[in-house]
Amino acid sequence: MAELSPPRPPPVQAGRLSLRPPSRRLSRRFILWRTLQTLCWAIGVLGTLGAVYGLVEATRPWLGPVLLVAGPLYAVHLAAIPTLRYLVHRWETTDDAVYALSGGLTRKWQIVPISRIQSIDTSIGPIQRYLRLATVTVTTASAEGSITIEGLDVREAEEATDRLRELAAATRGDAT
Amino acid sequence: MREPADAGQPWRRLSVRVVHLDVIRVVISLATGYAGTVVRDDPVWPLIAGAGFGLVGALLDLNRWRTTRYRITAERVEMRSGWLARKHKTVARDRIRSVDSSARLLQRLLGLRSVHIGSGESGSSFALDALDHQHATRLERELMPGRATEPTADAAPSPEPDPETVIARLRAGWVPWNIVTVWSVFAVAGPLIGLHFALRPFGVDLIDLGGRLLNWESRAVVWNVILVLLIAYPLGIAATAGAFLLENWKFQLVRKGTPPDTALVTRRGLLNTRTVQHADERLRGIAFEEPLVWRWLRLTGTKVISTGLRQSGESTTSGILPRIRLAEARELAARILPDGSRPLESPLHRHPRGALVRRLGWAVYYPLILSGALLLFGLSDAIPDRVWPLPLTLVLLTVPVAVVAYRSLGHGLAGDYLVVRGGVPKRRTVALQRRAVIGWTLEQSIFQRWGGRMSAGVATAAGDRYYTAPDASVEQALALISEATPELARGFIDDQQPAHLLGDGVVEIEVEVEDAVAGAGVSRLDGSKTID
Repeated sequence: MAELSPPRPPPVQAGRLSLRPPSRRLSRRFILWRTLQTLCWAIGVLGTLGAVYGLVEATRPWLGPVLLVAGPLYAVHLAAIPTLRYLVHRWETTDDAVYALSGGLTRKWQIVPISRIQSIDTSIGPIQRYLRLATVTVTTASAEGSITIEGLDVREAEEATDRLRELAAATRGDAT
Repeated sequence: MREPADAGQPWRRLSVRVVHLDVIRVVISLATGYAGTVVRDDPVWPLIAGAGFGLVGALLDLNRWRTTRYRITAERVEMRSGWLARKHKTVARDRIRSVDSSARLLQRLLGLRSVHIGSGESGSSFALDALDHQHATRLERELMPGRATEPTADAAPSPEPDPETVIARLRAGWVPWNIVTVWSVFAVAGPLIGLHFALRPFGVDLIDLGGRLLNWESRAVVWNVILVLLIAYPLGIAATAGAFLLENWKFQLVRKGTPPDTALVTRRGLLNTRTVQHADERLRGIAFEEPLVWRWLRLTGTKVISTGLRQSGESTTSGILPRIRLAEARELAARILPDGSRPLESPLHRHPRGALVRRLGWAVYYPLILSGALLLFGLSDAIPDRVWPLPLTLVLLTVPVAVVAYRSLGHGLAGDYLVVRGGVPKRRTVALQRRAVIGWTLEQSIFQRWGGRMSAGVATAAGDRYYTAPDASVEQALALISEATPELARGFIDDQQPAHLLGDGVVEIEVEVEDAVAGAGVSRLDGSKTID
């Protein structure tokens, strides 16, 4: 799974100021992971609703419209969104901060200074374990200010968290 | 059950007067229960049930006193409690964020006070309920964040009290601002319904009685409703006035202590008294909340933003003043902030027109979605066919709300403070110290990308933990970040011009006029000014 150096997206430009995107991409297996995850949800939700629709006739006027809207939504989420997210998501750690860009249609840039980091966690779900992926969470004293980077290669995640822990230990700060 | 004392500090009991208090509660309960059996021929069950609960509560409380021990060492405060399940809570003294105290009526009569020790986390926050008055006051002083840490000795009342400067006291003129609310009616309705059910066992039917008194049947429903409101509002306002005075009697806001260990202290209460401290060291900003309904009177609530306290949820711990006129609140705010600055009065950048268009879009979009859903359900025969256009009438309400929402938006920098403003039912202006920024979040939806806008969010460890400037232009958002935290921003935001030329562009700024025209509550002058 060697990554060909993908083209860097242009920075967000406004007048004199421009916001550069983070430098690193996620593992390409992120697409597969997200697709599988969405598939599980789709089977669970649509399967349940469909079964009720089929078995209990009284619910049909209510569930029909719901299925009509939810079906195509899941189809889009399966077919396009994981790839779109893979193309958008980026991350990097510098000597002063963790910087991440995430989202699909709505984009979200997050900057957390190393001195304000409270903890650095790695979590690996069942599908992620199979795909050798990991999720790194950098928490701060503010829940909204915490960064979650999903779908990193396990080895890359390890390197990043080790480096962050070293930096955080070396940086003075009370995290508040 | 007794643990051996280590670190030289013995485990101590709560005040023995808690026992006296519980004995009084037992007596009251027994008396009530007795009254319940004698007053009428057959037992009055609500009274007996109340007495039973009171008795059990008092006995449990007695047991709590029996099993609770606490100690204060140089490093931490510990409390062990519990009878069937033992609990051991520990908080390191340098982790203590707040030390407050309160006393209910009975406690006050017996000279007791509860001391609440907060660390910002529920796991290590607890209350010593209760200590005798002197002891509580001394604990409050000694545990106050930032204090030199010496273990509390048993005897020896503290030498001299801390110097205090009074910032504000309750004024008679404040009372009207705090008692007239749209919801006053419910201040009567709740207790009345309670009373109705309480009196039913005695054979009194309040609803029937009221109906006969007002000659219910002789009028149409509308007139009855108006009549009830006319009677209920003055009563409700009287009830809120009573509650306000009970809570805020002798309200006092003072700054206490010698620098650098200063703190803001509020004291209030007629029957139940409460003292709340906010260490200046943990103060990160201040906020005004102006309710939409009272904007024509320019009324505002004032809150302080501190680390270690949640602004929502524990509203009482951060609301520092009752609701007062804006002009007065501004004067007081300058004295509440230790540096005496006035960030909340600084002119704010206005957000781009696109933000208004987007809000108007939402105002139409959500009713449309609702209508669409109803139409689908209508077609599938789940609901009647003709219901679907109903949500469209919401537009009459949502469009003005959208305009108000746009007009409240604003952001800016004032010295060491970052200022953001927004919100519809309550317009909130927040001034947050720049050092309190612990992260930035920029968000851009697809519509915002097309319109060149972005929402800038500030993560912080204080207050609500997160404050946003929604729908600023991309340039405004990036400028806010690079001016508020220049060193951090340098790594991510490139500036093609040296920083000292920043003021070159002509920026539209907005100035609030003090004597605003009533109605909208806010007037604006659009001026072309340069900012430095």
